Amino acid sequence: MTVKVVVACGSGVATSQTVASKVNRMLKADKIDAEVEAVDLKSVDRHLKDAAAYITIIRDKKEYDLPVIDGIAFLTGAGQQQQYAKLIEAIKNYKAV
Amino acid sequence: MLDREVIMRELTVIDLDASCPDEIFDVMGKRFNELGYVNEKYIPSIKKRESMYPTALPVEPHPIAIPHTKADAIVRPFIAPVRLRSTIAWGDMSDPDNKLDVKLAFMLGFYEPGAHIELLQILMHNFQRADWVNALYAAKTEDEFFDAVIDMEWWHD
Repeated sequence: MTVKVVVACGSGVATSQTVASKVNRMLKADKIDAEVEAVDLKSVDRHLKDAAAYITIIRDKKEYDLPVIDGIAFLTGAGQQQQYAKLIEAIKNYKAV
Repeated sequence: MLDREVIMRELTVIDLDASCPDEIFDVMGKRFNELGYVNEKYIPSIKKRESMYPTALPVEPHPIAIPHTKADAIVRPFIAPVRLRSTIAWGDMSDPDNKLDVKLAFMLGFYEPGAHIELLQILMHNFQRADWVNALYAAKTEDEFFDAVIDMEWWHD
């Protein structure tokens, strides 16, 4: 089954879509069966229920019970490999509820 | 599709005087409206959106802001490349309390989620290229600046 990953930004129009597209391409190249979905922040909690990881654009102080990945790394390139490795780990460890 | 035609020469500005992002939104928002790119919602909408979710990216060699707002304020899609006369403090997208010194802004006007993702990824790729960013800093006229913007690598990794 394809594992779900969520990325959220303020509007869901530009930034999160860009990150989702980039990460989806990386996952596909590595033949990992997961799909990144871009959502807006208002609806993020609902989407996180069955997700393996949450890629954030804005770091918030909230605690999540799933792994959180820094999405800005996929825009700026800085720290991208570490964040991608963390994401792969989260996808591999994910057990569907 | 690379849709490079959304990067608008008529919305390209250099040496804009501003002391904060809101002043840029007032000046550029007026121009966008006069030229039919946005409606009257744009200026209040982008000010509100930026106050909640600022858009400066901590890219090297220089931070770059990508202000954008909700689709219902946009009439025609556009990208407006703007270079300020001097840097201003602009909130970091990942951490709004952290202020970055921004001189370049690519103002985005999109109304269709996902429609310009190729172009955005190409922009992100070029934001990380010192030779391209330095050429944008060095351009002496608006024409030179626009040409330098368009003279980007038209691919991304």
